[in-house]
Amino acid sequence: MNLFEYEGKNLLKKYDIKIPRGKIIKTESDLKTAITEMGLTKGVVKAQILSGGRGKVGGIKICESTEEIISSYQEISTKKIKGQIVSSILLEEKLEILEEHYLSIVYDTNKQQPMLVYSKNGGVEIESVPKEKILFYFIDPNTEFLDFPIPFANNLWQLFIKEDLRLVEINPLVKTTEGQFVAVDAKIAIDDDASFRHKEWNELEPRTVMGREATKRELAVKKIDEGESYYRGTAGKYIELDGDIAVLFSGGGASIANMDALIQAGGQPANYTEYSGNPPREKVYALTKIVLSKSNLKGLWIAGGVANFTDIAETFQGIVDALDEIKPNYPIVVRRAGPNEKKGLEIMRECAKHNNLNIKLFGKETPMSETAKILVELINK
Amino acid sequence: MSILINKQTNVLVQGITGKEGQKATRAMLSYGTNVVCGVTPGKGGQTVEDRPVFNTIKEALQKFPEVNTSAIYVPPFAAKDGILEAITNGIKTINVMTERVPIIDTAICLKTAKENEVRIIGPSSLGYIVPNVGRVGVVGGPLELANEIFQAGSIGVISRSGGMTNELSWQVRQAGLGQSAAIHIGGDLLIGTNYRDLLELFEQDKKTKAVIIFGEHGGSYEFAIVDLLKTGGFTKPLAIYVGGKFANLFPEGTTIGHAGAIVEKGRGAAEKETALKNAGAMVAEHYEELVTLIKPYA
Repeated sequence: MNLFEYEGKNLLKKYDIKIPRGKIIKTESDLKTAITEMGLTKGVVKAQILSGGRGKVGGIKICESTEEIISSYQEISTKKIKGQIVSSILLEEKLEILEEHYLSIVYDTNKQQPMLVYSKNGGVEIESVPKEKILFYFIDPNTEFLDFPIPFANNLWQLFIKEDLRLVEINPLVKTTEGQFVAVDAKIAIDDDASFRHKEWNELEPRTVMGREATKRELAVKKIDEGESYYRGTAGKYIELDGDIAVLFSGGGASIANMDALIQAGGQPANYTEYSGNPPREKVYALTKIVLSKSNLKGLWIAGGVANFTDIAETFQGIVDALDEIKPNYPIVVRRAGPNEKKGLEIMRECAKHNNLNIKLFGKETPMSETAKILVELINK
Repeated sequence: MSILINKQTNVLVQGITGKEGQKATRAMLSYGTNVVCGVTPGKGGQTVEDRPVFNTIKEALQKFPEVNTSAIYVPPFAAKDGILEAITNGIKTINVMTERVPIIDTAICLKTAKENEVRIIGPSSLGYIVPNVGRVGVVGGPLELANEIFQAGSIGVISRSGGMTNELSWQVRQAGLGQSAAIHIGGDLLIGTNYRDLLELFEQDKKTKAVIIFGEHGGSYEFAIVDLLKTGGFTKPLAIYVGGKFANLFPEGTTIGHAGAIVEKGRGAAEKETALKNAGAMVAEHYEELVTLIKPYA
């Protein structure tokens, strides 16, 4: 999960990495209070969105007067930046900058290790800096103290391992005219799989999805995988899209192949959803209910590959529980195979019969992509 | 001689008394794999499928020194300790099925494994199968299904996705062909054994005539194949499907499908396809085409 800049900076501060004085602003009256409290005559107004490159598209304004701070706030807070709503603004003091550096720690998938990346040519996208001007340093993940002659190297490393980050990037890390290093930006992604040892992550404000606020359905689906058995099968992935074909995919790989196939067949997905790892009936039921709660649906595609150990009967029972309640009248196409497939398809057939549903069922003899075409044809009939 | 598994493979199951551990034990035994014992702390003295359970790997190895492979079915918060315990006790091949292992834990385990010349397959790997020889993990599912999907043959199958490992293998079987081995490498950001490592094994494997791969957008593992092909490290026919062409609909940084399938600049499905094509791999538009592409070489 990606953090907002201000959340990232709070973490930097916790590890004694210097950040500019700043305040998070949600309303114009907050802003006026903050200007007075911070004693600002100049300042920087920064849109809080989950995307880089804000500066180039007017998401960051350097202001030379308090009037300019207020007008910049009004401008930025009411528009979309990079297609994303601006949920809040970070107001910061303006620093006198001498140099702009770059500092990050990421995972390198070739070496399978964390890697520190540093350059004195910061302030621009690191991809545009010539390779010879960038320092790459691989870190043994067992390192307790990172002794490396770069400002904040060990602070950043402690932050990276103790807070379970996937990525931390400070660009720019500026050197002020007073000779101090200050983190002017913070891009941080946390490792969701470490949530069991970070109860504090529950307190983070809801993320935007696709550049907008999370929908009610997205928030509701997320809850399915919370709690003690969070790792016993996954059924909590749902992204709401603009199309009209609801999908219930099983398996991470099959889900992306199927999204490709549905779009290639001319269908417009209403959502992206994937359940996997043999989730219990209750989780699949809860997921299906939410997926089918979207209005104006024209079809439902339930598709997955040949499962290894996900029980088709159990997971389909969860889907059937929801279909029994909702009784959709649009076409439904099912393609699935794996353990207990016969029983699973039989449960589905029974459900179709007593609810008079328009369902077509396929097993592994029919490829997944083909059933996407079948559904699209049924809808267009 | 097959890759990764042979008749001398003797498996210990970590987390054997759990639901998934028991299921995996049955799956392996039913396919003729020699599961000799299991470990669950605090459950020593019990049995699962007539196999003895020990509290620690050390105790297990005192009784069964022939163990050379561990299959790990423990919850994510216990995965790091479990993997390190297996490495410390000298087990050289480890299949980690556990999903949602924190990345730093995986990184520490992979580093330790490398230093000790241990091969890890996974995390988030359902395992691997060599038809008629054995399987580690649950690839193929219940015996009846596994026998429907798998038969000994000449096609190597590698997939980031567990379901797609079966799906691809099934396409191979439907085309009247068989598999030399099928491996689910796992969909995490960091994985112990990647496509490149396996292609190197398949290159040496006399039974394997061609390989098919289910790849995904995000990460660098597909680019490592490109390097291998360019340097002549893999010379057999190779067909690959890269999923996630639709992923450019999503903002950068979004994770779709697997943990490792992140929407990233320059690492999308399209970039990967172009690089792979230029290096001489056959690229499938739909995953079903993989078999069509590879059939002439089988």
